[in-house]
Amino acid sequence: MNRKLLGLIPFLIFILLCVFLYQGLFGNPRELQTGRIGHTMPSFTLPDLMDEQKQWQDKDLIGDVYLLNVWGTWCPTCIAELSYLTELKEQGVKIIGLYYEQAYDPDFGDQFDINKLRAEVQAMLARTGNPYQFNILDLNRTLALDLGVSGAPETFLVDKKGTILLHHTGDINQRVWRSKFAPKIMELTQ
Amino acid sequence: MKIVMVLLLILCGSATATEDKYVFASEERAATFRELTHELRCPKCQNQNIADSDAVVAKDLRDKVLSLVNDGKSKQEVIDYMIDRYGYFVHYQPPVTPATIILWVLPVLIVVIGFGFIVFRQKKASRKQTWSSEDEQKLAKLIQQYQRREQ
Repeated sequence: MNRKLLGLIPFLIFILLCVFLYQGLFGNPRELQTGRIGHTMPSFTLPDLMDEQKQWQDKDLIGDVYLLNVWGTWCPTCIAELSYLTELKEQGVKIIGLYYEQAYDPDFGDQFDINKLRAEVQAMLARTGNPYQFNILDLNRTLALDLGVSGAPETFLVDKKGTILLHHTGDINQRVWRSKFAPKIMELTQ
Repeated sequence: MKIVMVLLLILCGSATATEDKYVFASEERAATFRELTHELRCPKCQNQNIADSDAVVAKDLRDKVLSLVNDGKSKQEVIDYMIDRYGYFVHYQPPVTPATIILWVLPVLIVVIGFGFIVFRQKKASRKQTWSSEDEQKLAKLIQQYQRREQ
């Protein structure tokens, strides 16, 4: 009896290994547990994308549940999700854009033309629908770094007190919305 | 052809020279910066460190590491700063947490269990053998047989 059990051990190890590796097939390595979840929004002062006179601060965003969507016109996946985000906005979800300018790096002597960017953004949003209440321009990607953003699109769910509840990497579609965001928002509104 | 080669070599020379754009107050800080950029992992181009990666975020992280190091922050402080923002993923050395403790414990456990198993088996095997007079006779017979064959 004992010997039989001992003989089973390699088989059990094999089964465990199979389960472990099988799970790995469906894991998403881009799904990272970043450091800011559960913390309040980092403090920042950044200009509005459309009006540099208007400065946004972290304090201005407190009081509402909102999505902070990191995006850029250079990013095809961001453009693809704009129409779904617009649908969400029509359902009453507050969405704030964080414009992530990828091409700008003063170290390389890049010139930045805000008017050209504004025209580009306006043309883009006219085509796809505009989900944003407003857009914050993070030209040097400082807020993006403080939030642990590694690219675009990324979306944060922030509650009324300014606590970051979710950090989603990749686009938002119906599946992601239903499985990940909707339950959290339900919790918040109850 | 040779002239082209020489020209290419000169071009290579200027390309490597531009890499020294990072300026440090001391050699020690330069060493810390080098260590950090090799230990911190790029969150976008996974499996590349931030020294190696060309992603925008890797460049931003390098610049941030540079400014933190030049502010006199220690290596651990910079690592903590990055983990605060990008999570444990950003550092190649995983922390000891309940979820990762298995990485340290499992190899030790396997060695200990393996040795235990060997010792246990040997003890069991030696306990089983009892030596009777019958065995003694068998042995004597065998010895005799082999001795005869040798002659």
